[in-house]
Amino acid sequence: MKRTRWIFVGILVVVALIIGVAIVVQRSGNDGNTPDTELVLEQPETITVRVLTALPVEPWVRSAAETYNATQPTLDGVPIQVEIIPMDGLTALGRWDRNDFGALGADADVANLTAAEKAALASFPTVWIPDSRYLVELANASYKERLGRDVFLTDGEYRARPIAISLFTWGIYESRANVLTSRFGDITWNAIHDAAVAKGGWPELGGDPAWGFFKLVVPNPNKNAGGLAAMVAAAGEYYGRTDISVADLTEPQFQTWLKELMGSVTDFSSASAYTAEDFALFGYSVGDGGQLLESDLLQNMQGILTRWDDPLKIYYPRYVTWFEFPYTIWVGPETSALEKNAALAFQRFLLGEEQQKAALAYGLRPTNPNVSLDATPESLFVKWKDRGVEMVVPRSDAMRNPDREVLLALLRWFELNVAN
Amino acid sequence: MSNELSTKQRKSLIIGVVGIIVVCACAIVAAWAGKSAWSTLFETEGNGTPTGQNATTAELIVAVSPGMASTLTQLAEQFNANAYKTPDGSLMSVHTLTVVPEKMVEQSLANPPFQALAPDSSLWLNQLDRRWVAAHSSDEETSLIPIGNRRFGDPVRYATSPVVIAAWESVARELGWPDRVVGWRDIQQKATTDTTFKWNHPSTGHASGLLATLAEFYAGAGLTRGLTPEAATAQTTLDYVRAVEGTVRFYGEGEDVIVQRLAAEGRNFLDAFVAQEQVVIAWNQTQSGERLVALYPAEGTLWADHPLALLELGASDETPLTANQRRTYQTFVTFLTSPDVQRQLLAAGYRPANLDIRLDEAGSPFAGSTAADWRQPQTTLQIPAASVVEVVQNVWWYTKRPTNVYLVVDTSGSMEESDKIDLTRVALRSFVEQIRGDRDQVGLIAFASEVNTLRSLQPLDDAGRADLNRAIDQLRATGNTALIDGVWEAYTELTLRGNPEAINAIVVMTDGQENNSRHSFAELQQRLRQEHGTSVVIFTIAFGGDADEKLLRSMAEVGGGQFRRAQETDIEELYKIISTYF
Repeated sequence: MKRTRWIFVGILVVVALIIGVAIVVQRSGNDGNTPDTELVLEQPETITVRVLTALPVEPWVRSAAETYNATQPTLDGVPIQVEIIPMDGLTALGRWDRNDFGALGADADVANLTAAEKAALASFPTVWIPDSRYLVELANASYKERLGRDVFLTDGEYRARPIAISLFTWGIYESRANVLTSRFGDITWNAIHDAAVAKGGWPELGGDPAWGFFKLVVPNPNKNAGGLAAMVAAAGEYYGRTDISVADLTEPQFQTWLKELMGSVTDFSSASAYTAEDFALFGYSVGDGGQLLESDLLQNMQGILTRWDDPLKIYYPRYVTWFEFPYTIWVGPETSALEKNAALAFQRFLLGEEQQKAALAYGLRPTNPNVSLDATPESLFVKWKDRGVEMVVPRSDAMRNPDREVLLALLRWFELNVAN
Repeated sequence: MSNELSTKQRKSLIIGVVGIIVVCACAIVAAWAGKSAWSTLFETEGNGTPTGQNATTAELIVAVSPGMASTLTQLAEQFNANAYKTPDGSLMSVHTLTVVPEKMVEQSLANPPFQALAPDSSLWLNQLDRRWVAAHSSDEETSLIPIGNRRFGDPVRYATSPVVIAAWESVARELGWPDRVVGWRDIQQKATTDTTFKWNHPSTGHASGLLATLAEFYAGAGLTRGLTPEAATAQTTLDYVRAVEGTVRFYGEGEDVIVQRLAAEGRNFLDAFVAQEQVVIAWNQTQSGERLVALYPAEGTLWADHPLALLELGASDETPLTANQRRTYQTFVTFLTSPDVQRQLLAAGYRPANLDIRLDEAGSPFAGSTAADWRQPQTTLQIPAASVVEVVQNVWWYTKRPTNVYLVVDTSGSMEESDKIDLTRVALRSFVEQIRGDRDQVGLIAFASEVNTLRSLQPLDDAGRADLNRAIDQLRATGNTALIDGVWEAYTELTLRGNPEAINAIVVMTDGQENNSRHSFAELQQRLRQEHGTSVVIFTIAFGGDADEKLLRSMAEVGGGQFRRAQETDIEELYKIISTYF
């Protein structure tokens, strides 16, 4: 070989050595917690799917995630790990709105993030399962103002898909329910209102004097999305329609009616995000009955029967609100394409027949049409049939999802008239 | 040809081009690697890594209410004995810090000395929520969705216990139990019509005290729900509450101290007191003689629901929580709610949060007992909004039983040692700051070789408070210890000028031995036992290891009060605690 060629090869070896050393230096500087420089291109050791999960479905989704992780799933040869982060939908919405999770600005360049910026994104949620689709719309509206685009999609591959359904139903202690039905007939918001304002309390209604006044259970709307759903349902029945506007909420007579109704709630301070659990823990002493999520009531039914001297009975309202728990993948650049696709894989797992059947044991109605409510012996719809749970919902009108202005008006009204 | 390069020139050109490529490649690679290395070395330092705290610490400090402190501390020790480890191998540990709930809320607002809190009721978390949002209202205003900005994560409950009226069985039967449901009104009526009836509720800094006070305000306003600030502050309400509060024997730290005193002083100490149901069960399990009975008030009660919540630290200059502290919290929650621990809590008289456990199962303290009924309470009082609760807490100071208290302070020469006199000044000022009733009066007597009445009883309006603080600041240490004469003088003043309707008390502190009094303890004892009319309670404090504890104990015993020890580190806190009795 000629001398010039030797020199040329030598130079190439030197270049290769320099590049090799630089790579070693660069990798040694990565502590393992810091995401790779290229969020999109580099192959990670593990794909972590962080699922921000609404509380009513959290036990089921967590159990499903454990089962899924145990199957050692992979994507393009990379192991997938699903991590569940429980958070009430309303609290999560507040955190999205304040950008507490640290989404990047509209002009951020993912390729040029500092190590600290990348580390901050390491815990960014991959998926959000809120209680209802309207919470997704509110979060999108918030980000649209900030970034000029949606961050959760409503169509296409990454669109939000409901994973289970649960209705809002009346849960009333049987002794109290018997008195109410004999006096008012059906259990309706108007009947509950009339019981709430009875000056003589239970004795006036025909009940036991020891029961005191009628006590309503409604989740605190600041802590639980169910509180807003209950108020929307009450408004629907008051007006006799399924679509509620801000003008309806500001109507003085309605506000008086709603305030009287909410005035029968014993304690909003201890009404945590787990209202049905509180209902079971403190029993009829804090609430004779209330409109709560069917799945929460079914999950706590055994506890109520174990702890208290009076069983609970379920009734279905005429104006129905419900949660459909949309599985919503974040589409921004804060998570990689691998993470998004891994999130899709877990979504398919949740929607599969096996996990949809498993949801029955948590009192959730499957969204997979192939799974019936009595598909398994563990189904709470089978177990608590004698407590009033119905597989086919009786004649009812479905309330429309409230828009952002209606929700904010309800929250403001609650703050001014009840919370303070 | 002139256009063609020679072989030598061509070689030079190739080497030149390759050289440039190499230099450029080196520069790019060096910049890339260098940037990463720079980032690794410097930028990660600002990545939320707490300074001044081990970034991997798995130690968690939980603030706990006094009533639950011993139970939770025992459970924390059990937890620590399990030696749980985080994924990085750090040892998880939980330590408790006993804090009165009201103070817990105050401390949680900024740089608390704990990471989690376990007050006796969610009421306190609600107050914390309200005060946190108020303090960060500017953040809220910029938020379109005004929710989710909380100082703490979702709380969990590990035990519950309804607040009841604890009464001796004979007293309960006199009130109509078990044939009829006894209410707050029955107790209030009994207290105002029977002068021999002795009852007590803790101060409003505890859930049980706050509930008893709320019940009085509801009764005074003629309501059972919908209490508003206007109704709470109406003159008729205030008059009613004042009449009822006038029958309270004394206030105090909480039901745990009442139980200690019941054990020490026996059946005649009180006829009834407000406490958690658990206190009744625990008393009947451990004490012989007449049993206590839990009366579930007809108008409704409140639950001590024992929440446990993790603070979201990291605001301004706070040390943020570490990931390992979060893991310790989660593991501790799992431990507390495990069936074994929940059964331990049931055995201690609490209602477990685990709903799978039956309250009437074999071995449960509820099974077969009539002293506490697991089917009760049937109803609860409505808890007003946090703003109304705050109004009640503030207005209570104007309705509570008035207090006449003499602070009797040792200013002998030994108080000069170890800055004791300086610390005493601070402690006395804190005591004065805590006394807020508009009908309360405080006096100051110093004793050394002689007794010096620095201030006679005077109301604590702004001028009176400033004047008393000036007198405290002028305390100087010198001479001997005329302890008994100091108490004698205070007693004389109280019986001459005191009000029989008020709580009349002496709080005496010494760091040494009696050596210069004209009166003997036997004379003082005889006088205290013979005097009729104004009843005077004596609280005694032994400051440091050289105080005459035997004499102080005897003095407290004959004066129907309490004996306490204090060191330089806690003298201020002790004076604050004693102030809650008034």
